[in-house]
Amino acid sequence: MEIVTKDIINLDLKTQDKNDAIRQLGQLLNKAGRLNNLEGYIQNVIKRETLTTTGIGFGIAIPHGKTDAVKDISVAIARLHEPIDWASLDGGKVDLIFQLAVPESSKGDEHLRLLSALSRNLIHEDFRNKIRTSQTAQEVIDLISQSLTKALEV
Amino acid sequence: MNEVKPINLVGVTACPSGVAHTYMAAESLETAAKAAGCDVHVETQGQIGIENQLSTAAIKAADVVILTNDIGIKNEDRFKGKLVLRVSSGDLIGKSPIIVKKLMAKLAEV
Repeated sequence: MEIVTKDIINLDLKTQDKNDAIRQLGQLLNKAGRLNNLEGYIQNVIKRETLTTTGIGFGIAIPHGKTDAVKDISVAIARLHEPIDWASLDGGKVDLIFQLAVPESSKGDEHLRLLSALSRNLIHEDFRNKIRTSQTAQEVIDLISQSLTKALEV
Repeated sequence: MNEVKPINLVGVTACPSGVAHTYMAAESLETAAKAAGCDVHVETQGQIGIENQLSTAAIKAADVVILTNDIGIKNEDRFKGKLVLRVSSGDLIGKSPIIVKKLMAKLAEV
């Protein structure tokens, strides 16, 4: 299964706070058949969030759960209707969420390389800007696959 | 005051789950160091395992070693006797350009 598909992207997510955003994205992942246990996954992501914030700055949050509650390694993507607080490292609000779902036993998985390449891409402003101005979920997927292909060739 | 010159940097990044911060921190440090004209090598210790392992030569040539302090770094004894800076992966993600600039300025004073 691809790590990101149209059904786990929401380009206009309406939410007021981070736990609700995590839950909504969890529900998207669950509906797409990518989880074994929705509640277990959500609790794992929220628990991870209490260790250190995943608000990495630049308006981006990367909440993640690594647990057996996940069936297939995935990244759900949301652009928010209104930016929300995420206790970000730079103090700014978050308008773009990349929520990762990783099975506990995914060691050595090729998909982990995709996630690491995506994480690296998020550091670059032009990549973030392109995601922010994408018109459709397909455009987001194309952007990500292009950049990942490039990253994996090197 | 001496002239600020490009420096040789090596780093190792790691984080609790090893899927995202590790790589963002590495990319951010590499990007900032290259932009400042520095030579840079960053090893990642993530869920995938160790990648871009630092060579003995790179460590020897390094003016400074940057290690993330979120979780323990493997094989830290390689850096014995080197100047080591410990920062969080979050700081590298957000502030690498400032960190690199400060290191360059600091080393120019020596």
